[in-house]
Amino acid sequence: MTAGSARRARIDDGLTYLGLLAVLLFFGIPLLWILSLSLRTQEDILVTTVNPVPEDPTLGNYGEVLSSAQFPRFLFNSALLSAMGSIGAMIVAAPAAYAFSRMVFRGRKKLLVAVLALQMISPLVLAFPLYRYFSSLGLLDSIPVTGFVYIAILMPLATWMLKGFFDGIPTELDDAAMIDGATRWSAFRRVVLPVALPSLTAVFVISALLAWAEFVVPFILLSDPANLPISVGILNFQGNYATNATGILAAGSVLAIAPAILLFVVLQRYIVGAFVAGALKG
Amino acid sequence: MTTASATRVGRAARTRGGGGWSPPEPLPWLAPLLAVATVFFLWPVLNVLRLAFTDSTLLREDYAYTLQTFEQVLSDPSLGRVLGVTGIFVGASVVGQLLLGLFIALIVQRAVARKLHGAVLVRSVVLCAWVMPGVLIGVVWQIVLNEGPFGLVNSVLAEAGLAPVSWLSDTKLAVVSVVTANIWRGTAFSMLLLYAALHTVNRELYDAARVDGAGRLRVLWHVTLPQIRPVLLVNVVLITIATLNTFDMVLSLTGGGPAQATEVLSLRAFNSVFVSFNLAAGCVFAVFLLLAALLLTAVYRRVLGQEER
Repeated sequence: MTAGSARRARIDDGLTYLGLLAVLLFFGIPLLWILSLSLRTQEDILVTTVNPVPEDPTLGNYGEVLSSAQFPRFLFNSALLSAMGSIGAMIVAAPAAYAFSRMVFRGRKKLLVAVLALQMISPLVLAFPLYRYFSSLGLLDSIPVTGFVYIAILMPLATWMLKGFFDGIPTELDDAAMIDGATRWSAFRRVVLPVALPSLTAVFVISALLAWAEFVVPFILLSDPANLPISVGILNFQGNYATNATGILAAGSVLAIAPAILLFVVLQRYIVGAFVAGALKG
Repeated sequence: MTTASATRVGRAARTRGGGGWSPPEPLPWLAPLLAVATVFFLWPVLNVLRLAFTDSTLLREDYAYTLQTFEQVLSDPSLGRVLGVTGIFVGASVVGQLLLGLFIALIVQRAVARKLHGAVLVRSVVLCAWVMPGVLIGVVWQIVLNEGPFGLVNSVLAEAGLAPVSWLSDTKLAVVSVVTANIWRGTAFSMLLLYAALHTVNRELYDAARVDGAGRLRVLWHVTLPQIRPVLLVNVVLITIATLNTFDMVLSLTGGGPAQATEVLSLRAFNSVFVSFNLAAGCVFAVFLLLAALLLTAVYRRVLGQEER
């Protein structure tokens, strides 16, 4: 490497750092600002300042949020719906993904594309007739019923991602088990699923994150505040607190985001790989 | 097209020629998926198509078949504005997410290759925006762009001695704000896909182009981008459909206002049903969304079909 190209590489390094910093500021500052507002008293919030460090930091807003009647309930409902939706989606998607990966049958490719098309349909489109139908059956405002709709909308992506993972597991494994007398079902359960455990975890976490963020379905099918998940409930909060208690709204937002971000940061390595594989494999 | 079907036939012939081996029965494995797809996808979609040709409302049970709802929706003078703002919202978001996602993927790749600090931190922060529920993203940006004293952007402007800007109450600026917030939200997805794609680019071609004295932008345009073309196209399809189907963030950021300036197609569909109680009109808009989904699925399939060859 010549002295000239080494100098050029150092200049490039500087430019790369500059780019990284700009990206960090654009994406990080809104989050930092909310965190900062959540730690301020109401008087502090009404002072115009760009200093993110509060003069007199307080946890009072968090106390207020957690002692409110609704907020902990919203978080609990979100956890319930996310768990139900993602576990259900795995149970429905895993055998289907295995069939798509291992079996030869007519219309296999067409069916796979059809599953992809399901992923493209907006949940809003599904929710209109479901609302009407559930309303006439008296099934509106039920968390278990809404959980089934969660399973449905999480299912297509879970199927595609799992199929990609099963494709990566050598068929010799199942064949060996079946030569030893196992049925295909027990080969799937006792051999393939344990090997695929890291991938199953990734798909589960991605599904749970999507369920945590799901908005349209609970917004339309649930209405009693006691049944709402946080993704909808925060709208109530915004209506109640936006103008006169921004600190409380900010604290509520931090608490609503924290579980998703925590789960994501801890399992980032698995998730990123799984998502890319799911999106790119055809 | 002919080559594609020829390979398909060839593959089918190969797999069927397995002697006495009989294929396992897939139906029990697929049954749960097919049942869920029928109840929660097929049945609702058929009903949307049916109800679009009725005068159905949420206020009464009975309805009659008619083409009037279609006519009303298509001749509504506000339809042009809704489609216009949807076009701007989707177009600007897709271009912004794609370019910013490509930029981040490139600098993170370079930072990792040169062992610079901070690349993982930057990637994590970008991804944090992506895992947030949409309503919360609207709440966050509503606070950041607020015209009250706690609005960050206007505080910065005030510090610099500039007058505050009405980011959310001016009809033109509100569209800019909604697009900015949506780029903030969705860029991580493009970053992930393109970062993965960049790793598949043949490095020898880079070096050859460099030896030939090509500048950085020329290498990007003539060497890198053509090689990741299929991923770029898939990326565009996926973020187009995601942006078209979203309205949660818009709802909490502007509520579709001011004066319906940010009322995008899916928000209009929702408002038709649950604000105006006109179920049939909402289903007409839903048919538009379904057609877009169908079209984009076809494009996606073509792109992946070409890549396989």
